[in-house]
Amino acid sequence: MYYPEPISKLIDSFTKLPGIGPKTAVRLAFFVLNMKEDDVLDFAKALVNAKRELTHCSVCGHITDQDPCQICSDHTRDDALICVVQDPKDVIAMEKMREFNGRYHVLHGAISPMDGIGPEDINVPDLIKRLKDDKVEELILATNPNVEGEATAMYISRLVKPSGIKITRIAHGLPMGGDLEYADEVTLSKALEGRREL
Amino acid sequence: MYIEHITLTHYRNYPSLTLEFDPKVNVIIGENAQGKTNLMEAIYVLAFTKSYRTSKDKELVMWDESYAKIEGTVFKRNYHIPMEMQFQSKGKTAKLNHLEQKRLSHYIGALNVVMFAPEDLNLVKGSPQVRRRFIDMEIGQVKPVYIYHLGQYQKILKQRNHLLKDLQRRKTTDITMLEVLTDQLITHASEILIRRFLFLDLLLKWARPIHQGITQNKETLTIDYDTSIEVEKTAPIETIKQIYQETFKHNQQKEIDRGTTLYGPHRDDLIFYVNGRNVQTFGSQGQQRTTALSLKLAEIELIKNEVGEYPVLLLDDVLSELDRHRQSHLLNTIKDKVQTFVTTTSVNDIEHQTIQTATIFHVDNGQVICEERREH
Repeated sequence: MYYPEPISKLIDSFTKLPGIGPKTAVRLAFFVLNMKEDDVLDFAKALVNAKRELTHCSVCGHITDQDPCQICSDHTRDDALICVVQDPKDVIAMEKMREFNGRYHVLHGAISPMDGIGPEDINVPDLIKRLKDDKVEELILATNPNVEGEATAMYISRLVKPSGIKITRIAHGLPMGGDLEYADEVTLSKALEGRREL
Repeated sequence: MYIEHITLTHYRNYPSLTLEFDPKVNVIIGENAQGKTNLMEAIYVLAFTKSYRTSKDKELVMWDESYAKIEGTVFKRNYHIPMEMQFQSKGKTAKLNHLEQKRLSHYIGALNVVMFAPEDLNLVKGSPQVRRRFIDMEIGQVKPVYIYHLGQYQKILKQRNHLLKDLQRRKTTDITMLEVLTDQLITHASEILIRRFLFLDLLLKWARPIHQGITQNKETLTIDYDTSIEVEKTAPIETIKQIYQETFKHNQQKEIDRGTTLYGPHRDDLIFYVNGRNVQTFGSQGQQRTTALSLKLAEIELIKNEVGEYPVLLLDDVLSELDRHRQSHLLNTIKDKVQTFVTTTSVNDIEHQTIQTATIFHVDNGQVICEERREH
């Protein structure tokens, strides 16, 4: 199928987004053609600004438009607690909870020798620097519960252990409000492993 | 348990086919290359969601068609259970009781199948890989958690081997990461090992009397699990972990020099002994066959013991490979209790009563005709 160049470029740009296949890209591109020019300009501006004005916080690595980020510059937060996560989206998930009043550290990935990602390729060296500050008392490792996330957590715990800082790992188990019978065998066995006395 | 019927759509050389099966013995007769093994494969795929002949699901779909479907009903514990496997270019879907199963581990195990094909005679003389596959398949069929540990183990092993290669080429010097991966590897390695020990113990318990039966009490079978670490077969999991820990610590430099993981279940093997002699190296062709046969027959009993019902037995072109004595021992074992599918080019030279009273299917170039049941 032949498209005029401007639209085929637009289609090509949409295909670069996750979850967008060639057909959806065509649909979106043609939708844009019918949009009001102002809306299209706003859309384009929003795209460029999101990229230009957002950086990674020099302290925790979270995405931000000011440096250090809002969380890092908030003085009411507890300096003694740092929660380590893999992704900026994880920070947002944790913040939604409104229960955690400590600081964060975003790794931007997990260690995976297979993909050539070592500890120095994710935000680990910066984390170690942050821990030299005496205020930190506990490090919560909230990386994903898969092979790579688990390895990353174990790796950080080995590095930090000698400093005497308390290291904890988030619990694995059953989702709240769920039914026991719907849990898969592995989650159930993890939940059983992590049982507590009442 | 037994399969009541099966319907194939666009499967290999069958555009559309429905067969009603005998709860006892079904014999599939046909010339070579007519589609006998395709039928056996279809039953196997219905049970395990993948073929033993190919790793490419696409090959199961008939030429020029977009999908292949296998449907069947299994009679198990007084229930008629519908099962369905469908293969498209997008992937495969497994349905149990008309419900799609997102996790294949929830599907596998609904129909238990034991297969005996000419390749299985390789179980004894083939490479260690064949024996590891055998043991992994069998444990996986009765213990789903085993599949999980095996999957995690293989993932971590891949990561660890990459890191060891990087260390070997001095692309990194991070020993801490190696220790982390070693710890992770050991967690799953010990779970795998302890389950293999348990399984082999059970398997031998069933296989030994069967073997003695076939050899008329002349030979005694022993199975040894050959592992790279020094460990008692009855050791608790903590001891196994500790021994792995020490082994890896002791051989760290050696593994870095070689750039690969040298210890663990992926390097282990089974050794079969008959009257104390290694069958793989010193056994005759016949002894190797008897051993493979005893193991397969033991598997049937083992599944019956774990699951509560006999599995379905598939005998693909093996009757002709066995002498009359072993043939009749095999047929006596399955008699009246195990639903069996046999493929062969001819039944004339098999005199056993089990075959004489079986339901016969003639396969001719993708056409299957059920022969009227012969007089008993």
